[in-house]
Amino acid sequence: MSGEVALRCPACEAPLLADDRFCEACGAAVATASADAGDACRTCGAPATARGPDGYCTVCGVRELAGARRVELDLTVAAAVSEQGRTHRRNEDAFCLEVVGAGVVAVVCDGISTAASGDAAARAAADSAAAALSRPLDEGADLRTATAAAVLTAHEAVHRVPATTKNALALPSCTLVSAACRDGEVVVGWVGDSRAYWLTAGDERQLTVDDSWATEQVADGLMSAEEALADRRAHAITRWVGADAPPEAPQLTVLAPAAPGRLVLCTDGLWNEAPGPGDIGSLIADLEPDATPAAIAHHLVDAAMARGARDDVTVAVIDIRPPGGRAP
Amino acid sequence: MTTFTADVYQNEFLALGATDVDAVVTVSASGAAPAEAPAGAAEIVIIDASGSMVHPSTKLKAAKRATAAAIDAIRDGVAFGVIRGTDLARAVYAPDGALVPATDETRAQAKAAVDDILASGGTAIGTWLLLARDLFERTDAGLRHAILLTDGQNQHETVEELESALAACQGVFQCDCRGVGTDWEVAELRRVASALLGSVDIIAQPDDMAADFRAMTERSMAKGTADVALRLWTPQGADVRYVKQVAPAIVDLTDRATPLDARIADYPTGAWGDEERDYHVSIRVVAREAGDEVLAGRLSLVVDGQVITQALVRAVWTDDPELSTRINPEVAHYTGQAELAEVIQEGLEARRSGDEATATFKLGRAVQLATEGGNEGTLQLLDRVLEVDDPATGTVRLKRHVEEVDEMSLDTRSTKTVRIHGTSP
Repeated sequence: MSGEVALRCPACEAPLLADDRFCEACGAAVATASADAGDACRTCGAPATARGPDGYCTVCGVRELAGARRVELDLTVAAAVSEQGRTHRRNEDAFCLEVVGAGVVAVVCDGISTAASGDAAARAAADSAAAALSRPLDEGADLRTATAAAVLTAHEAVHRVPATTKNALALPSCTLVSAACRDGEVVVGWVGDSRAYWLTAGDERQLTVDDSWATEQVADGLMSAEEALADRRAHAITRWVGADAPPEAPQLTVLAPAAPGRLVLCTDGLWNEAPGPGDIGSLIADLEPDATPAAIAHHLVDAAMARGARDDVTVAVIDIRPPGGRAP
Repeated sequence: MTTFTADVYQNEFLALGATDVDAVVTVSASGAAPAEAPAGAAEIVIIDASGSMVHPSTKLKAAKRATAAAIDAIRDGVAFGVIRGTDLARAVYAPDGALVPATDETRAQAKAAVDDILASGGTAIGTWLLLARDLFERTDAGLRHAILLTDGQNQHETVEELESALAACQGVFQCDCRGVGTDWEVAELRRVASALLGSVDIIAQPDDMAADFRAMTERSMAKGTADVALRLWTPQGADVRYVKQVAPAIVDLTDRATPLDARIADYPTGAWGDEERDYHVSIRVVAREAGDEVLAGRLSLVVDGQVITQALVRAVWTDDPELSTRINPEVAHYTGQAELAEVIQEGLEARRSGDEATATFKLGRAVQLATEGGNEGTLQLLDRVLEVDDPATGTVRLKRHVEEVDEMSLDTRSTKTVRIHGTSP
């Protein structure tokens, strides 16, 4: 290590050695070094040990959260993958996926990057909404009521996320899409422009309607879908989860399929790269019909990244089988 | 044990290509426990005994009463002494050349010694400060505070001699300065006070002096933590444009930085009691791309080598003008307060040199800024030197006849700020 990138403890500023995991002076944990050169600061090249626990590089100050470039979870009947977009310094998407008894709870959130702490907001919303959904799911309670209550819980959780600065107008906020699946019944709830799709053999259906400027323009007959999407305001969302949003009930849709299929939850990082009707389904047309949820999630994220995804991409895939039905 | 907290106020959003990050940091100290270790504190009163102090004789008499009031306010056990300043400096109370712990007996002895002071000779402030430094350095006290009173200009030493004395005293003790009468020079005393992290004020009426000296001593006795430094980390390639204390008064600390390495410097803030102060930090960073977030500054407080609190100054680049043009009210308020101090000093300087157009313009702007900022006290002082036609637009006329004491009061108090919303931001 050269003297130029001298390392200091992010807590007390005592000098550190490249391999230190804890500060000799104050004992603070230091982001651990990795042999993987990819963990070096992408801006100034300082080693991973130069990154403080709050994500800021202690040499150039640029924020990049350690280890969050790609996160994967495979629960066999359901799987999720989240990858940081090419132009982002940190992944501001978050997901929470749980198998509860014979059911599945999934929540996908996209932190709003022009607000403070978007990543923390998405994390808080996904975790709190999933926790609030899993018990009613297990106890056989009504899934629509449970979904509305879970979104309110997410609002409260994001409300408690501290903004890193006291900026009254840019409070932490995020989008949210949730799925509660039990006995072949699926309840999807959403706020903002993260989406849910229903994929069956050879068919794709979007289950959600974006809370966005573009969607509202089209719905009001003011523009065609192409004109609206070309506008710079297209992605401005009209509803979100956060302290400065009214805690309205989420939009809900209920699905009780007769045949098996895959439920896909995703952030706009995926559908930006596959905007047309049927585009998501065509991305996985190459896969075997019995591909696992994990294989589908990987494939969708890889395809979005290959198309140069600027934004963070998060995909959750859940196998849905009607009672008595066969595997898809 | 004193507890410190730091809160940051800023608009972290920058337009693409923008480089300057401004933030106001409010530092609050609570739980200062001065009573625990009186031996850790030392106090010296320096009184001007030059010949002019007996013209009129009420000045010296008032100075003696004020010094007695200060001595009475010194807590038991605090080491103290009194220096008589002329073109020489002499310790009139420091038996055996050392500060002594305050007791009823030593306080009575000191007051008797003060009462015997005769006025004669000139003024050499640097010499007085160097004697105070010697006395302070012979104690173990960490909290060292002096009060300096003068009535005249520093005629018996050169500017260089005063500057070298100030350099020698910096970091050794803090000093509040007071001018009595109208024969002293505001800029000179302000220089001494700011170098020694103290306040400066004018005592218009000698009778007001005792209450002021008592209050200064009591404030000093309430300090619990000495030598607190503001530590600022900035990223590689960044420049610190300035670091200023902006409340309760403006003190530019930029040139007082002690660098620890290329990216970290300590700025002295002196001793703290239970109080709040505001700092304005301005950092120039390397511009980055839309969506990028950079830590522009990491501010911490350092007490006895320990880092005790941290505050982050951030920068986030955005192509959304609605975000980047948003004005942070705290930063705007203190930018106005700093300009207010500047235009008052420049306006008065122009007035003294006969440039009435500049004086009218600058002081008019001062009225406007003081009105916006809610500086009631400053407005009252401005009112004594100006006819104010419209405070909102700063339309003013210079008064033909102005009392010297009013002009000096305005000048001296120009650096006093009000906090936003009157109390805390």
